Amino acid sequence: MIRLIWAKEVRAELYTWRSALWLLLASLIFSFTSYLLLTNKELTLLDQTELLWLLGKIIVGTALLMVTIDASSILTSEFEHHTAESLFIAPIRLRDLVIGKFLASLTLWGALYVVAVPYMIVAAAGTRLAPAFLGYVALLGTLGVAAMVLLALGIAFLFRSSKNALTTTLVVLLGLTVPALFTSALKSGFVARVFERINPVDSIFAALDNVLVDYQLSPLQNGRFLLPLAGFLAAAFAFAVFAAWRFERQGIVRSGS
Amino acid sequence: MTQRLVILWAVLLAASASCVAAASPGAPLVLGIASAQTLNGVAGDYVTVAARIENTSDQAVSDVTTYLSLVNTADKLPVDLEDWSAEKGLYVGVIESGQALPLDWKIHFVKPGHYALTVVALVAGREMPAVSPVVYFRVEPKNSLDPGHILPVALGMPVVLGLLLLLLNYRRRTRP
Repeated sequence: MIRLIWAKEVRAELYTWRSALWLLLASLIFSFTSYLLLTNKELTLLDQTELLWLLGKIIVGTALLMVTIDASSILTSEFEHHTAESLFIAPIRLRDLVIGKFLASLTLWGALYVVAVPYMIVAAAGTRLAPAFLGYVALLGTLGVAAMVLLALGIAFLFRSSKNALTTTLVVLLGLTVPALFTSALKSGFVARVFERINPVDSIFAALDNVLVDYQLSPLQNGRFLLPLAGFLAAAFAFAVFAAWRFERQGIVRSGS
Repeated sequence: MTQRLVILWAVLLAASASCVAAASPGAPLVLGIASAQTLNGVAGDYVTVAARIENTSDQAVSDVTTYLSLVNTADKLPVDLEDWSAEKGLYVGVIESGQALPLDWKIHFVKPGHYALTVVALVAGREMPAVSPVVYFRVEPKNSLDPGHILPVALGMPVVLGLLLLLLNYRRRTRP
């Protein structure tokens, strides 16, 4: 059943040119970034490793944004298209439905990653960092995207409305991303430093920096960044499970509404 | 009498000589360049300019400060050394008579172009500084990424994806 739900969602996401247009837009973003890195005089003065770091951040950032938007509506669209009733009357377990949709959202990240691979290989040409670059973008991106998808699904269960779920999830993503873009001077305070340690987006960017700029390639050397990410994933999973449990208890038609 | 006049003249001459030395402390300082007169590199490279300062006078020279002067020869403008060298100036202090000291400057080629660098030594109280011969920099632009490799990908990927989406759309429409 999980496979059926996954296949249905992926077909809906990638089958028509309109639904897959975001993939083309993502490749245009990567092309534009690569072009800028090549031709902008100030940027070309950066070390190649710093260019890889910048490109890695853009790839993961684009993925987080696009997949989060998709995951926010992948569940709520069932309520808004009035397909939820027939879906939940059918012999489908809620767990299978959630896992199917979760995997469908992760597949979008997979598609985006495949599009980004040629850019990463070419950008890393001349360095010995290509395998590490590809590997860590895959690992960090998967952890971050999986956590954001679970969070988006949990919020969707709570709100049951695309508009509210999308707005809330995007605000959460923005709240995590904006502080990660602050300069180190703005992160010098105690609160800022604590937030930096637990912020998953900060952890992704810092791990990429650690790998690509500081050549700390082993996962052990990046444990301090991977742990907060794993913690965020676990918290998002717990939140999604709680929201699904609450949804199941309330039923399709909320008791009292 | 003549002998006394000769002695007096000799004493006056010696006194006047000591007055000249005091008024212009330290006779000429000579600045030389030990490294190549022209240094080539790519933006981002580091080179070392090896200079040498020598006190050729017979007296010690005190309060010597050396610094760099960099000019963009194409723009005919001096360049702010902020990113070019961590050490903009170096206070040497006292240079004994006949003493020669090495002065090594680590230079970071920040921007492509043609530049001229001189090392200047300033002695407190002296009107004229000592200046080294000119060292020329030829800094080539740096391309961190190879345009020959990235441009086909940057242009090709959106085109391939666009074609793929059109093909998908065509297949979907023509499928019975």
